[in-house]
Amino acid sequence: MKKKIWSTMLSVLVVSSLLLISACGGGNNNGASGNNSSKTDNSSNGGEKGEDVKPSGKRVVIRSTMYEPEMTSEMIAEFEKTHTNIKIERVEADYNKLMAMMAAGNAPDIIRAAGVTEVPGYVLKDMALDLTTYFDSSTVFKQNDFLPIVNQFRFDKATGTHGQGAIYGYPKDWSPDFTIYYNKKMFEEAGIPLPSSTEAMTWKELIELGKKLTKKNGEKVTRYGLVYYNGNIAAQQDLLNLQLIQSGASMFSEDFGGSDLTTPVMKELLNFWVDAAQSGVGPSPLHQETDWGGQLFVDNKAAMIIAGYWFSGFLKDNQLTKDRIDEFAVSPAPMMEGGTRISPSASGTGAIISSKTKHPKEAWEVFEWFFGGKPAEDRAKAGYGLPATKTLMNMLPQDTPFNKMNYDFVQNELKYSEGYLKYNPYLTYQAVNAVFDKHFTPVYFGKDTVDGAGQKMTEEINTLINEGKQLIGTN
Amino acid sequence: MSQAKSTGAIITEQTARMRPASKRRSIKAALEFYLFISPWFIVFVLLGLIPLFYGLYLSFTNYAGFNMDRLKFVGFDNYIKVFTDNDAMYSLGRTMLITCINVPASMAIGLLLAILLNQNVRNIGLYRTLFFIPSIIPIVAVGTMWRSLFTKEGVINQYLVQAGLEPVDWLGYDYAMLPLFIMLMWGVGGGILIYLAGLKAVSKELYEAAAIDGATTAQRFSRITLPLITPVLFFQFIMNIIGSLQIFVQPVLLAANSNSLLSTPIRPNYVYSVHAFQQIFAFNRFGYGLALLWVLFLMILLFTIVIFTTSKLWVFYEVEQEGK
Repeated sequence: MKKKIWSTMLSVLVVSSLLLISACGGGNNNGASGNNSSKTDNSSNGGEKGEDVKPSGKRVVIRSTMYEPEMTSEMIAEFEKTHTNIKIERVEADYNKLMAMMAAGNAPDIIRAAGVTEVPGYVLKDMALDLTTYFDSSTVFKQNDFLPIVNQFRFDKATGTHGQGAIYGYPKDWSPDFTIYYNKKMFEEAGIPLPSSTEAMTWKELIELGKKLTKKNGEKVTRYGLVYYNGNIAAQQDLLNLQLIQSGASMFSEDFGGSDLTTPVMKELLNFWVDAAQSGVGPSPLHQETDWGGQLFVDNKAAMIIAGYWFSGFLKDNQLTKDRIDEFAVSPAPMMEGGTRISPSASGTGAIISSKTKHPKEAWEVFEWFFGGKPAEDRAKAGYGLPATKTLMNMLPQDTPFNKMNYDFVQNELKYSEGYLKYNPYLTYQAVNAVFDKHFTPVYFGKDTVDGAGQKMTEEINTLINEGKQLIGTN
Repeated sequence: MSQAKSTGAIITEQTARMRPASKRRSIKAALEFYLFISPWFIVFVLLGLIPLFYGLYLSFTNYAGFNMDRLKFVGFDNYIKVFTDNDAMYSLGRTMLITCINVPASMAIGLLLAILLNQNVRNIGLYRTLFFIPSIIPIVAVGTMWRSLFTKEGVINQYLVQAGLEPVDWLGYDYAMLPLFIMLMWGVGGGILIYLAGLKAVSKELYEAAAIDGATTAQRFSRITLPLITPVLFFQFIMNIIGSLQIFVQPVLLAANSNSLLSTPIRPNYVYSVHAFQQIFAFNRFGYGLALLWVLFLMILLFTIVIFTTSKLWVFYEVEQEGK
């Protein structure tokens, strides 16, 4: 009897473990059989209507990697109420998990992507579905209403030109990310006049201003003059790329087939950032921080921050700043002396549809709703980023003095936001960061020279470009 | 004679009759055994063994994360590259150096603390808990804590400045290894627990007999305690070597530029696992990164074999080992 109980228990264990394993395995992409999906009508109603119930009654699962705060469960529930044939599933996936999912043939249908830094790479890796015909036939998206930021989701595969050709995605929101938010009180305390809200400072003026606002106790910095939301006040690819386009230069060749970080322009810029880091004007490998720039700013440990329009939303929500919001103001993105004034986006967060999706029509239905329907309107009204169309731009909040100030500021700044930062499609953003970290950090400590590090970075980046080209098959 | 013969025949007959029954029992026992271990074993094969060997296969390819449909077999290229890659060799050297310092230091400190915590003093339970706590705190929290202490604007420098001294760039080139070792030593509590178990297993009678014979404390430690805890030291030695050779998170969290797991530690703390991780996740050189990790695995295996082989000379077991 005892043995019987044991063997029954064991059998149950074995069966349940097998069930568990099979459940963990692939194939959970579809809530319904793939064959049914194509029968759905390609409704272009912006997700406001959804009478297209499948004949079988089964629902197609569309998996999206948009983050929870962007695509909330409430939003999903609202969508699913009117689109009974589609179930949206949110999945977490960073770049590496995404690659693993692609390799396993289990790619999400809608992939979160930054237009500026990621889309060309995704297109070259054949990960992105060409959405040109979808956009052309859409009644939700009006292409003549698009702002130039949408072009960051265009890529011409034949010529390798970013910003032109077929369209592969769309931005959720964006900002001119290099504008300067500052703490007015700190300027007043230091007896420094407030910067202009329309005229751009030069980079040199900005660093000098930062130095005046930096507070030190001996060698120890107690308040930084300037921080950057996405890294250090040091040689960093975003800041360098902006300075380079403003100077009409690039660290890459025209066709992105090579790089040179030893040019006179590049050396001058690298030296500029070494001096800035050594001055202690902001966090750097010489002045390490545990918090990101935004946190330092709201903690009153920084007087200015390089950040975009989205940062106004952060300040409005943050417990440490929401009750003193009028202490903050904004100034244009800095520019190179004698260069062109360009105030671009550093990211342009949006999404693409996977080229491997089994349900392109349903994925487009979700895509159209999320980027062109009610969620897009709600985002614009909330003012946590700039929308991608002129129509939605009018919905940005202007109800408070702070909101009005940001609105007026951004209208002027938009005149200079058409330039694009040049990121190499054969390299990942992380790869260039790693190369800078590895080879340029010794320069701050006097363990290498700008020339030496520039040479090493050039060699390593060129090796990576060649590998990238070979893998994609263009070499 | 005939009676004996007939008795023998009866026994043989009985044995023959019993054989199928015993065979059935042993098959049943084996079946039960495999059924018992099957939930774990199936999961191990599917989520452990298969990915492991799949990783080995990928280390012979140009896998970059997205090119599964046009994967190219590259033979031993990735393995040859390991030994020609200056950064790989440099990081291996740093890892060896860290291992050579960390293993004896953490073992000595761990054992010393365990001896102290093995004394019959008041509130010893509290002390044991306090020393063990660091080993159960998540490593990222530990790293962030130490980082905030050691940054140029951190707490340690605040005290130095208050004492009228110059702040020190703890995370810079000249001192970078010191915070790393402090952070590693801070976590020796996990080892203390094992040392304590070993110390507790030493019979008190041996100490009493030695005391009667007039042995000093040092003699009792060197002639009784140390030989009897050599199996524990042996275990700790192997585990510490494996742990040190695989060290990854601590240097990254102490990087001058630390903001993610892809951050590059400062050159003196640039260890082998960090190099492998960067090859895979920053540069998308999955095939090469896997080759780096297989080389590390083989090195660990080699060290373990050498230590096991030499253990006969210095590990003392109170009971005879099976097969010896």
